[in-house]
Amino acid sequence: MLFIDSTNFERLLKKLSADGELYVPVLMRLDGFRTVDPWKGAAQMLRCPVANYPDDKSREISEEKFRNVVIVGARACDIYAFELVDRVEIEGEFTDPFYKVRRDKMFIIGADCTECGESCFCNLLGNKPWPEKGYDLNVSSVSGGYIVEAGSDKGKAAIEANKDLFSEARDEQTKHRDEVRSAVLDKLEKQNRAFPRAEEMPDVLRAALTDDVWDEIAAKCVECGACTNICPTCYCFLLYDMKADGEYFQRISTWDSCQVTGYARMAGMLNPRARLTDRVKHRYYHKYDYLVKSHGAIFCTGCGRCIDSCSATIDMRESFKKVSDRVKAGKR
Amino acid sequence: MIENPYYPIDSVVEDIITETPTIKTFVLKPSRPIKFKAGQFMQLTVPGVGEAPFTPSSSPNVEDKMEITILRTGKVTEALHELEPGAKVGLRGPYGKGYPVDKMKGKEVLIVGGGVGLAPLRSLIYCLIEDASKYKRISIKYGAKNPEELCFKRQYDEWTRAAGNVDFTNTIDVPAPGWNGRVGLVTTLLDDLDIDISDSIAVSCGPQIMLKFVTLKLLDCGYEPPQIYLSMNRKMSCGMGKCGRCNVGPYYLCVDGPDMCYDKIKDIPNVFG
Repeated sequence: MLFIDSTNFERLLKKLSADGELYVPVLMRLDGFRTVDPWKGAAQMLRCPVANYPDDKSREISEEKFRNVVIVGARACDIYAFELVDRVEIEGEFTDPFYKVRRDKMFIIGADCTECGESCFCNLLGNKPWPEKGYDLNVSSVSGGYIVEAGSDKGKAAIEANKDLFSEARDEQTKHRDEVRSAVLDKLEKQNRAFPRAEEMPDVLRAALTDDVWDEIAAKCVECGACTNICPTCYCFLLYDMKADGEYFQRISTWDSCQVTGYARMAGMLNPRARLTDRVKHRYYHKYDYLVKSHGAIFCTGCGRCIDSCSATIDMRESFKKVSDRVKAGKR
Repeated sequence: MIENPYYPIDSVVEDIITETPTIKTFVLKPSRPIKFKAGQFMQLTVPGVGEAPFTPSSSPNVEDKMEITILRTGKVTEALHELEPGAKVGLRGPYGKGYPVDKMKGKEVLIVGGGVGLAPLRSLIYCLIEDASKYKRISIKYGAKNPEELCFKRQYDEWTRAAGNVDFTNTIDVPAPGWNGRVGLVTTLLDDLDIDISDSIAVSCGPQIMLKFVTLKLLDCGYEPPQIYLSMNRKMSCGMGKCGRCNVGPYYLCVDGPDMCYDKIKDIPNVFG
């Protein structure tokens, strides 16, 4: 196990990001828990111009034009979110080249959570508050610096090229890391004990398809769209065309929210999800049922950002408990 | 270099045919041939206005030209209806699965269309008629609001003459002066079906409310859900199963449809909106 002190860590970041972009938490804290905002914007830009038309230069995408991206301090939930969204954007019949190139050029430095937030529930998804895969390097905060592990060839090469910045981690540092990890996991288990585990939810949702419990859950929603914008696995977008200079127009892909009224509205004002309940329900079903069927996984990481950001204080865990209780009561 | 899937293929509007007071057919010449299957759809760009999804109404056996028949109903279609021949547009696609033509081989194919819904079905009709001997029968039932809104009027005889196993019946919703044909909703054409239902596949395209009642009627006639294919209506934007607008339950219409087997969607609440 390797150790890097804080000064050398900053040197390493400068070197790794010499020819690209560097994303770090504003306070550069790699202890604590996840950042307020998700990291998805580093792969799927909030507003991404995808084509200029008519312009031959836009017919193909040159990978060289994309800069390397180093992100620092992504937590296990953030890294897992990338793996999930990759299934939609990269795997399958069509690949979104903009997303794929940015992902290919991404160097992820993960970090252990040394605490958890009140809204954190990654344990309910069966995940750990420290990254186990999907990172290039992972750091665990210990006194004076970080324990560092490589999780990919790119990560190993980065260590190899900067050998002089690292030393061997001492046993008490490793022991400290392991103690912190299990303390955070214990705390998560305790704070989420009352809520159903995610693996139960696809079946529960399928049983609650026509239950009016959804009206109760949706009643508080103010349709602000915060939950979808802040969700690291919400990938849906709007494509629109904007007039550019002269004869040209620009096609833009921008984050969008299925919670707003007009999201699925068609020409002629037909709207299959005109009712708020149907939109709120759609979000839960999309993440915990539809994507399980179409992409083989629940698209939720338990980061709890939707809980923190909700103006109406809707807590996904409580919604699931409500639905689950209702389904169980109905079965008796 | 990677091909940009969001960049449309340059195309020119060669001709515009007025089908009804609200429907026009646009004959498009793309800068390179576009191979598609009947029922697959294209994203049509009007430069500076935007994109909208349409299923071609022309034969999938013609690749160098493509006809798209469009009802004036929203922002992009308004702009399309204002175009003149020679206008430049863009095409992306084809997307989606298309009609289950292989499953129709040797069977009695029942085609039920309403209004501009006959447009995607015309592509299927061409596809079937051009190979008519492979199907036991091709039976077309079509309804429109009034005689003026009957789409492709000039072609009905052409279709029934093309092969001995093609029949066509139409109706209008309410009586109109000078109309001697059938009156009543399109479902009334399914009242006395002389089709061997156990050996049939039914496909339908039209407004959502029509699809609902056609489906109920077909079930009533004895069709089983796996024999019914419906062109579902949802907003389709990216065409690649990513933008998340066109869900019907767990399916993305743009990749799994837009024609969905009723058996797959029958348990979804409010599937017809």
